[in-house]
Order: sequence, then C-alpha cells, then structure tokens
Amino acid sequence: MSFAAGLWGTLVRDLPLIYPQLLILVAATVMLWPGDVFVPKGGKGQWAAVTVVVLAAAAFLVSRTPSGMGFSRMYQVDGITRGFQYLCLAAGIITVLLSQLQLNLHKDQSVEYYALILYSVTGMLFLVGASDLVSVYFSLELMALCIYILVAYFREQERSIEAGVKYFLLGAFSSGILLFGISLLFAATGGVTTNLADLNEKLALLPASSNLLVFLGILMVLVGFCFKVAAVPFHMWSPDAYDGAPTAITAFMSMAPKAASLAAFARVFGSGFGGLHAEWTAPLAFVAAASMILGNVAALRQQTMKRLLAYSSIAHVGYMLLGVLSSNVPGGVQAIWLYMLTYLLMQSGAFGIIIYLQGKGEGERIEDFRGLARTRPVLAFAMMVILLSLAGIPPLVGFFSKFYLFKLAIEQGHVTLTVIALLTSAVAAYYYLAVVAAMYFKEPAEGEVKPVSGITSLVVGMSCALVLAGTLFGAYLLDWAGTIL
Amino acid sequence: MASMNTVLFISFLLFSAGVAGVLVRRNALVILMCVELMLNAANLNLVAFARHAGTVAGQAFALLVMGLAAAEVAIGLALVVALYRRKDTIQVDQINLLRG
Repeated sequence: MSFAAGLWGTLVRDLPLIYPQLLILVAATVMLWPGDVFVPKGGKGQWAAVTVVVLAAAAFLVSRTPSGMGFSRMYQVDGITRGFQYLCLAAGIITVLLSQLQLNLHKDQSVEYYALILYSVTGMLFLVGASDLVSVYFSLELMALCIYILVAYFREQERSIEAGVKYFLLGAFSSGILLFGISLLFAATGGVTTNLADLNEKLALLPASSNLLVFLGILMVLVGFCFKVAAVPFHMWSPDAYDGAPTAITAFMSMAPKAASLAAFARVFGSGFGGLHAEWTAPLAFVAAASMILGNVAALRQQTMKRLLAYSSIAHVGYMLLGVLSSNVPGGVQAIWLYMLTYLLMQSGAFGIIIYLQGKGEGERIEDFRGLARTRPVLAFAMMVILLSLAGIPPLVGFFSKFYLFKLAIEQGHVTLTVIALLTSAVAAYYYLAVVAAMYFKEPAEGEVKPVSGITSLVVGMSCALVLAGTLFGAYLLDWAGTIL
Repeated sequence: MASMNTVLFISFLLFSAGVAGVLVRRNALVILMCVELMLNAANLNLVAFARHAGTVAGQAFALLVMGLAAAEVAIGLALVVALYRRKDTIQVDQINLLRG
C-alpha cells in the first residue's frame, strides 16, 4: 500500500514535467480511435488542422513547463530541453503544412499520417530531455520507428518502400549497436546505474582494468548516434531515404529528428561522458571532418535537389558536431541550437520550393530550376536567399550561425577542424551557387504549369522573411540564444 | 569477477554473430533476425550485471528492450511484406532503384 502511495505521489509531483508529451499522445490516440471511426469524413485536411492545433498547444505547454528533474532522474526539463522542444514542434507544424500539396495530389489524406507525425514528435520531446541512457534509448526508438513508416508511406511507389526498408534495416542495426554500447557501460559500473550524472562520476573513478570496456561502450554509443544524425562513415542510408521518402517527410527528417538527436548527442557526451573528454574527442573529430569533406564533395555531383540537400545536410551535421565536441563547455549546446534553428528555417523554405515545383513525384531535378527567375521571379528570389544562407555567405543568417560554431571550436583548440570546415564551406558555396546560376542565367524549359498552393507559399514566405530578419539581428543572435536557453 | 568475464565473452560472441549476419546475409528477414541477436546480446549483459549487483533496474530495462524489439519486428515485417508485394523479392541486394 505504501509502495502504491509512493508511486502515486511521485506521479503527481513529476507529471507536470511531461504535460506537452501527454497532450500529444492523447490527441494522437484519440484521432486514431474514436476520432477516425466516428467523426464523419469532413473536407480534406481536417486532421491536418487538428494536428497543427495540437502541436501549437504543446508548444504553449512547453513554455509553461517548470524546470526540474523527475521520474527517477530519467527526464529533465531545463532551458536547453525547452529550446530544442520548440524546434521539434515547429518542425512538426512545418511538415504538416508542407504535406498538404503532396497528399492532395496523391488523394491520400489519412489520419495515420498525422498520428505517426505526432507520435514521432512525442519521442523527440522525450529525447531532448532524457537524462538517463535508458530513456535516451527508448525515446530515440519511439521517434525512429514512426519515421520508418512515414518514409515508406507512399507504399504504391517502389522508391518509397525501398527507402523505408533500407532506412529501417540500417536504423535497427544502429540501435542494436547503441544498445550494446549502453549495456557495456552499465556493465562497467558493475550493474548499478545508467544515469548520465552518475555515469560521469563513476566512470572517472574506475580502475584501469575496465578501461577497455568503457572505451568500447562509449565508442558504440558514438557509432549509434552518428548513424542517427547521418554522419560519415555512417551516412549511407540517408541519401536513399531522403530521395525515396515523400518530400514533406524528407523535410521532416532533415529538421526534427536531427535536432532531437543532436540535443541528446550533446547531452549524453557533454554531461554523461564529459569527464572522459579525452577518450572520445579523437573519434568524434574524425567523424566531423569526414562528414564535412565527404558530404560537400559528394553533393557536387548530384542531379536531383533532394539528394543534393541530403548530402549537404551530412555536411551541416559535420559542422554541428563541432558544437558537440565542445558540449562540455558552456555555450556549446547554445551554438548547436542556434545553428539548428537557422538550418530549420532554411530547410523548410528550400523543401517548400521543391514541393512547389514538384508534380507527382517528378520535377525535383536541378534542371527543373532552369530559368525560374524568368517564370517565377519571387520564388527564385526566395530560393536564392535561402541557398546563399545555406552556403553561409555573409551577411545572411546562415553565416552567423556558422561563425559562432567555428569561433567556439577555435576557442576549444580544434584549429585543424575549423580550417577543414572553412575550406569545405567554400566547396559548398559552389554547388549552392550552381543552382542559383541555373535559376538566373539559363533559359526556362518548355512551358509547363505548376500547381499553386497557398499553404506552401506561406511556408516559403515565412522562411525567407525569417532568414532576412535573422540577418539584421545576426550579431545579437548568440546572446539571445543564451538568454532563452 | 571471473563469471562476469564469461558473461561478457558470451555477449560479445552473440553480438559479433549478429553484426556479421547483418553485414553478410542478403535476405531482409535474416538481417532482422541478426538484429534481434544483437539486442539479446545487450539484454544478456543487462540482466547478468543487474543480478550481480543485486538491483532490478537492469532487469526492467531488459524487459522493456524485449517489448521494443517486438514493436520493431512488427514494423520491419510490415515493411518487408510491402516490399515483397511490389518487387517479389526480399533480397536486399536486388533493391537498388535509389543510387548515387
């Protein structure tokens, strides 16, 4: 009886920490049943509206969530948790908005699509606050399992299924490696704890005989995370999954899971293995350098926009890993958050334009952008702003977020890495500018009328406007991030 | 501690078998089974070391991992069935539409 009473007391005390997740979970489940069964089939996109409202309400609840730790120290809410939760919720809303054009074209508006997005976002909200390897692992899986299905959502298309199967097999493989790494660390502490703060204390005090165990454990956790954020050499699933998935889901994958996984990556390595900084700096620095080089070089020879953005996102992850390398010092996570925020703005605009130009599965080749400045000048201007910002050309906002990360990396003594980052940014400018050149200096193809969508242009307009607005305040961005995180 | 080293040795063996299977075999179902082998290697560590330390947290973790493995298999099999319906094969080296 006293056990039950204690459990009840803990629940009542800790539940306010996870109100946003509870809201989304309940809403998604009610949407599936009884929502879809008993509510008459209304106009198209009724569930899209519900989803957007739920995500916005969750964002409001996040702003009201008290800071603190709960659930046997498995989950922790602080400024960084809330900051990344906003990013994930915003990415969810953007994805729902971007999905409309494509889902309507395929006449495939169904409640499961939105429920899966909601469940996946729930996993992310838990993941960014996870302060125990157990909760990290399970929230990562909740997030990933839903995305496997979403990637294969257009199951009448061979490409979509193929992408889903590839992503699933490699994702399951990587989570197996991650779990084995966690079990080794658990074994190294003698079977006592998986809590990040405790691990940091315990691992530093271990005798030399268990060094190998700890090193292998950390290495496997590192490999697992690198798979999830698609860093070289564990990136091979990402171009295929990006290419085959419905384009709105590609946008989702490049924003939300990346933000959540990077937040968890930084928290696990910063606060969990921070004391063993020397053990994991070298492998992580190698991964970061390889991602920057290979991502940017491979993007040079891509023919389709989705694959180009896939490889460029590998390179962007390489840049953000510079922040993870510095996650044990103040300011590291803030720099990652700022980079992710600007990246989210630019990606949503870029994918909005791709979806705009995309008919049923075609129209995503780089050639399709030829002469866009002639046929659709406003769209071409927005795309140019976004691409230049992605390339990190000053004074656009993408430059400032890169600048803060590189500055931090130099302060931490990663000079060689920063030089590699600067050189590869120049390579990146080449392929982004190639698209701009195609839009402005090439003749348009034979006249084909593209569908116009109000919601998509809203997303593109917002993204472009925010990139330009961020440019004005670029110098104050890091201080601003510091005050809200 | 000698018995704990045996546990670690066996779990490494299981894990390596799983990894080798994923890398070598081309049948999607067999790959799925090898991933299960990897998860069970981790479970073995979790249960054995929790028992060694006399705590239950690791054993609860292992139970949850089993539940998650079931969910993962459900999704994996659904994807493999969908693949088979489209392509009449579940050999992963024959799904090569996406390249580059």
